[in-house]
Amino acid sequence: MKGLKLTTRILAILFIAVTVISCKDGKKEQPKEDAQKTEMKGNDHSNMKHEEAGHDNSDGHHDGDKASETRDVSATSQKNAATTPIIDAYIQIKNGLVSDDNVATKKGGTALVAAFSKFDMSKLSGDTHKEYMEIMESAKEHGAHIVKSDIAHQREHFEVLSTDMDDLITLLGTEKTLYQDFCPMANNNKGASWLSEVKEIKNPYFGAKMLKCGSVKKQIN
Amino acid sequence: MKRYIKKIGLVLFIVFIAIQFIPKKYNQNDIVSKTDFITTFNPPKNIAAKLTASCYDCHSNNTYYPWYNKIQPIAWFLEDHINEAKAELNFSEFADYSKRRQKSKLKSIMSQIRDDEMPLSSYTLMHSEAKFSEEDKKMLTEWLDNLRDNL
Repeated sequence: MKGLKLTTRILAILFIAVTVISCKDGKKEQPKEDAQKTEMKGNDHSNMKHEEAGHDNSDGHHDGDKASETRDVSATSQKNAATTPIIDAYIQIKNGLVSDDNVATKKGGTALVAAFSKFDMSKLSGDTHKEYMEIMESAKEHGAHIVKSDIAHQREHFEVLSTDMDDLITLLGTEKTLYQDFCPMANNNKGASWLSEVKEIKNPYFGAKMLKCGSVKKQIN
Repeated sequence: MKRYIKKIGLVLFIVFIAIQFIPKKYNQNDIVSKTDFITTFNPPKNIAAKLTASCYDCHSNNTYYPWYNKIQPIAWFLEDHINEAKAELNFSEFADYSKRRQKSKLKSIMSQIRDDEMPLSSYTLMHSEAKFSEEDKKMLTEWLDNLRDNL
């Protein structure tokens, strides 16, 4: 009899423990990329040749050239105000990292995901749309990870996010004046770039440890 | 008081038995998909073996289930866990990812291995063969790094 009582107690404790664990786990789940996948299906919802405000489309960016393979940001970018909220959120992440501020960086991550969700892509078509979707998918994922990571991981995600931002600007343009900076010591000495709204070097990969490391490679607008 | 506890224990025991009969969904597939990481990139045998042993249980469409993982509510807990892991990275669908995402995932894989964050310690507790030695880590990250540069 004593044995039975003991086993039932153990079972009860086990059961409660596992229930608590799985409940906690369930809460963590966030709405995943289902929304993106459904959006992906409607690939060509406009035959329009990209008529965004102030958008002069004479440089042949839409002719299917793979912008992902060109890492350079063209010095004279198309003037596009639509990308501003996205870039502002990216800058917010960058500045969080510059000041070694994990919480501020997380806020930037949240802002980035929100900015991409709000972006109106109904004006994009064909290859531009496809390319944008890939950039968005990747950048949102980095944003979501930045929200839940420590600062070392935030910096790793920021490195890849920066290449996404370069490609986004090459693809769609910006109205902002930006500087592309490069630090040869970042990314395990492989070097990494970032975009900044100020000319002065403020290194997001090392923060206070090596704030001045890097140089301006290019100015956009 | 004694009778009270006994009753609760009995009820829980019955619930425990009952939930074993609820149909379970296992993360298993008979075919290896064309978009599988190993099928696509054809790594050397030792690397393929390491990835299969250490990553594929959670990060692919095929999990090997030891008997204790078929007991409820552990199986439910695992199902959630595997779904979360696959949303993050699914080796069975790797070739379906855009080039951009593949590169980004390879970078994350390397960093997780380097920092000993993956495989999870809760996993290697039961699967000691899944642990990476320092040589394993070096071999894997070098191969993955090379793959990333050539994508």
